[in-house]
Amino acid sequence: MNRSLPFEIFRYSVITLALAITLIPTLWMASMAFKPIAEWSAAGADLTWWPKNPTLDNFRFIFGTSTSDLIVALDRTAGKPILSSLLSAVFGTLIAMGCGTAAAYGLSRFGSGQNLPLALIQLRLFPPMAVMIPVMIMWAFLGMVDSWWGLALIYGIVTLPFAFWLMKTFFDDMPREIEDAALVEGCSRGRVFLKITLPMMRPALASSALFVFILNWSDYLIALLLTTREWVTIPVYMASLSSSMTGQLYGAKAALGLIAAVPPVIMGIAIQRHLVRGLTFGALKQ
Amino acid sequence: MAGISFRNVSKRYGNTVAVQNASFDIQPGEFFCFFGPPLSGKSTILKLMLGLETPDEGEVLIDGRPVNHISPGHRNVAMVFQNLALFPHMTAAENVRFPLVERKVPEATIRARVDAVAAKLHIAHLLHKLPAHLSGGERQRVAIARALVRDPVAYLMDDPISALDARLREETRVELKRIQRELGQTLIYVTHDQEEAMSVADRMAILEHGEIRQIGAPVDIYDRPASRYVAQLLGAPMMNIMAAAPSGRPETGEGTILLPAEQMSGNVAGVGIRPEDLKVEPWAEGHAGRPATVYEVEPLGGYTVVTLDTGSQKLRALLRGQPDIRIDSRVALSCNPERVHFFGAAGEALRP
Repeated sequence: MNRSLPFEIFRYSVITLALAITLIPTLWMASMAFKPIAEWSAAGADLTWWPKNPTLDNFRFIFGTSTSDLIVALDRTAGKPILSSLLSAVFGTLIAMGCGTAAAYGLSRFGSGQNLPLALIQLRLFPPMAVMIPVMIMWAFLGMVDSWWGLALIYGIVTLPFAFWLMKTFFDDMPREIEDAALVEGCSRGRVFLKITLPMMRPALASSALFVFILNWSDYLIALLLTTREWVTIPVYMASLSSSMTGQLYGAKAALGLIAAVPPVIMGIAIQRHLVRGLTFGALKQ
Repeated sequence: MAGISFRNVSKRYGNTVAVQNASFDIQPGEFFCFFGPPLSGKSTILKLMLGLETPDEGEVLIDGRPVNHISPGHRNVAMVFQNLALFPHMTAAENVRFPLVERKVPEATIRARVDAVAAKLHIAHLLHKLPAHLSGGERQRVAIARALVRDPVAYLMDDPISALDARLREETRVELKRIQRELGQTLIYVTHDQEEAMSVADRMAILEHGEIRQIGAPVDIYDRPASRYVAQLLGAPMMNIMAAAPSGRPETGEGTILLPAEQMSGNVAGVGIRPEDLKVEPWAEGHAGRPATVYEVEPLGGYTVVTLDTGSQKLRALLRGQPDIRIDSRVALSCNPERVHFFGAAGEALRP
């Protein structure tokens, strides 16, 4: 197509603007994570893009091996929150994906009507605060407050509707004849699911799991209400990174933010191969 | 090798009738074809045979035994699905092996059988590939190989070659017919293509709205259709049907009538003539044939389709070779009275 020069300039300007809006804050965070206090604090007058004196002090600080120049002692290091986030998000994702996939398959193949699937999404229609206070009381009663497994359980429940709906769409789109073919060739229903359906659903499982994991990983509200001390997660811990002397510890927050961005990115890269490949490509005619 | 029979089988989905009171007997070793327009119940009949659907009424029998409550895996019937339904995460070889592996056949036997069927269908060089990397025709052959690899009582095929281009379809159809004869196996075949149905089947069943309209050898059905619907479904171009006047005589428009009047009985509502039975001759004074003008000529090489305007309707004639017929010229139409079909008001065939 033959586009005019002004149009091309306009097009690239819009793209650049959109990229800037998304990328600059992230780059700013990455750069700040390596700046010494003088360069990120309000006291430091000169703002620069790149750290003038790159340092790992912020990382040492949150892991408790150095107080750097802050003269602030943290009451805990980032190690445990990172572990808490990992455990609760991973197991929450496993619960949501396990139950969601099973429910989605059952309802997609044998369910009738739309009421049950819609009822499942209703869980998400409540304002979270309306649900979380009763949950807090229940969890306290069950002795699951301030534990990674209590958090994992509620993460699994809260993200179950997403896992269910994503997987149901994928199951609905899968041609029934492929399962029928396996049935005719002597497979039982259960075997068809394990040998044919699940392997075919690998890309769907991977993308749904990534989505659910990111939801769990970035939760703040639930963790704030359900953890107090031992098992606070990264977002809750991050909020606590401030002091009366220096205010917000931006450098430390940036360092923690950079670490927090790693697991979703790794997962994303690991399953990228599955995300780009079609679901049933090659199974059918055409 | 086994026969498959239906006894008054009906299947409904909600308010939609998919199959209505179907009864038939497919003989062991027969190449049997179900033919009808889309949604006429052909695929449902196959699913009922496979056990993927259970009849609401009636009985399905395989080899004389009722199988209504036997699961698909235990019916020992092989199937080629319309959309092929290959397993996309398995290679062609794994796809073909699957039926044998699932039945716990010894590895040496599996290898021998897969090799034999791969050779027969010329897919040995494709076995290591995933379905995604095969062409349409290759996928087709892999799907057929998956059905042929074991030794079922019958093979079922749901329009398996519809996605191929015309040339490949003709080849595959001949190939299928040959394979079926060599195997001597019952093969039940569904198609929406009348030429395909006629060319492959020993016998065929014509379906409309889930009901079987006629069963018989293709040529018998072609020559003696049970109804106007069946008559027009088979043959290309379609059979010409002329309305008959209330008197029972064919609508004449102006000019002479096409047929001897004595053939007409009182309750004839339609008169059918196949395009190849229509004789087209130059108009001459005193000719007994019905006058018409040539509307359009389609030369197809071996034969020519001529569309004729009689004033009240258009008729099509199929002529051999390339006759010298000019558009808008006047011609006389006639035909052998024995090749004329008569239909009653409800479309039923009337025979003297």
